[in-house]
Amino acid sequence: MMQERNLLLERLGTALKYAILIIGAIMMVFPFAWMLDASLMTSSEIQRRPPALYPAEVQWQNFTQLLDVLPFGRLYLNSLIVTISTVIGVLFTSSLAGFAFAKYQFPGREVLFYIILATMMIPFFVTLIPVFYIVRQLGWIDSYQGLILPSITSAYGIFLMRQFIVSIPDELLDAARIDGAPEPMIYWRIIIPLTRPALATLGTFVFIGSWNAFLWPLLVINSRDLYTVPLGLNTLRTFAAEARNLNLLMSGTVLSVVPTLILFIFLQRYFIQGITLTGLKG
Amino acid sequence: MRPPNVSINGQARWRPASWPSSGLMRRRMIWGYVFIAIPILWLLVFSLGPILFSGWVSLHRWDMITPVAQMPYTGLENYDYIFTRDNVFPKALGNTFLFAIGGVTTNVILGLAFALLLNTKIRGRTLWRVLYFLPVITAPLALGVIFAFMFNRNYGVINNLLVALNLPRQGFLNDPNQAMFVLIAIAVYQYVGYYIVIYLAGLQDIPQDYYDAARVDGASYWQELWYITLPLLRPVMLFIIVTNTIGALQVFDLVFATTGGAPANSTMTVVLYMYNTAFKYSRMGRASAMAFVLFGIILLITIVQLRLFRDRTTA
Repeated sequence: MMQERNLLLERLGTALKYAILIIGAIMMVFPFAWMLDASLMTSSEIQRRPPALYPAEVQWQNFTQLLDVLPFGRLYLNSLIVTISTVIGVLFTSSLAGFAFAKYQFPGREVLFYIILATMMIPFFVTLIPVFYIVRQLGWIDSYQGLILPSITSAYGIFLMRQFIVSIPDELLDAARIDGAPEPMIYWRIIIPLTRPALATLGTFVFIGSWNAFLWPLLVINSRDLYTVPLGLNTLRTFAAEARNLNLLMSGTVLSVVPTLILFIFLQRYFIQGITLTGLKG
Repeated sequence: MRPPNVSINGQARWRPASWPSSGLMRRRMIWGYVFIAIPILWLLVFSLGPILFSGWVSLHRWDMITPVAQMPYTGLENYDYIFTRDNVFPKALGNTFLFAIGGVTTNVILGLAFALLLNTKIRGRTLWRVLYFLPVITAPLALGVIFAFMFNRNYGVINNLLVALNLPRQGFLNDPNQAMFVLIAIAVYQYVGYYIVIYLAGLQDIPQDYYDAARVDGASYWQELWYITLPLLRPVMLFIIVTNTIGALQVFDLVFATTGGAPANSTMTVVLYMYNTAFKYSRMGRASAMAFVLFGIILLITIVQLRLFRDRTTA
């Protein structure tokens, strides 16, 4: 009797657990689903009262219409150029400096490393005005350089790579030195291959951050030819302020979130690893 | 010629970080400098230099057109202005705190609840984690656009749902009393998945032995939660509170995409107001002062965090 009741309670608990998780998951996915749904409706379906729950006929032409308003191919290209350059830059400078801080002895090393740690605590918005001014003085306004170059080093990246490289045994490096390998070759042939997991983690984070970046491009870029995806979405937002273009706004949003979603589904292991690796030890 | 290796091996690791004696060590030292040269230069130009410059600008009146050498020095006038005469900044500061406190509290509790559920015997843990994580990697701007549509007064799905349930329509983002809470809800939606993953990592670090021992003593689930899980999760929770607070205090994209600070400045936040002050009204001094006030608050939180962490590790 008692046991039966316990079993019943346990079953009830399990059912409740799954119910909560499912409700949570639905809430998580719903905005994406609703966006996709609305992106395939006509605008009158969206404005009707009560509104349509799904398109009577799937409006694929919303996407072709959207491309007439906003050249998404160009936006993707610009975002890719900026994002990939930024990722390569951060990975290169972080691993190089991380290597130096982990494996070389030089006067001032400790002090410089503390400066790097302090730099990690500087939030982006405090340096916004001066960096904008510097970039303008350098003549980089409205250019790829202006988007890419200020962010090709990351104090956080250096810190992360240093922590990772410290654990590589010195014997490996010394063995290469005995074979006459010059120092840059040790970096390229030993450090880079051995830090691949850390580079992948750092790379995915920088990729997402750079792809989603909005405030800095908003300041630096004026001409439409150089618009990145978020800038394009922002123009579309103002264009679609009137209700009759809400379906186009949603198709634009679909196109702007799909790349990161796909990337995440393929690389989710690195994200989760990265968070557990960097988040807690940080 | 190959260099002799025996002495290098022994010395390289035991020598303190001072001037190396052998020529070989010196050559290696130079490589160390070469490798850090560009990264350090970059941090100086784009991070450390700018923060000093920003502090300097906050003591001046500047429109970014006047040459730097000629900007008039005003002392603490900008700080005085934003706190005593500016009618938006104190409000923006309050809004930003409300946003941070509301979001962080909800994330800490909701994240823990879902992590505890996901940490039990469960099917498809990876799938759940992926689903909860989707908003984290989505651009805040894009989420802002989607939610502005969903919360739209006339066409939004949420108001239509309310009508279908015979409830009155709400203003949501158009209502000064509701808008900030809508933004908090969106921010929780976006980041709770991130904190679930961090909590999960923390939960998996707790040795199973503790629970086994507690079970032998006949402890209930809630007792285990209260006496084992929560105390051992304290560092994780502290980490979540601090990082989430620091992040939330800097909110920009989400507000920009949904309300732009409206209605009646009820969702105006510090970074958005700073952005407007600098790049719409060309008041770099005032904007820099605002940035420094918020930076000071963030720094204070960071220092408190470091203290708390140190206390825990040495205790």
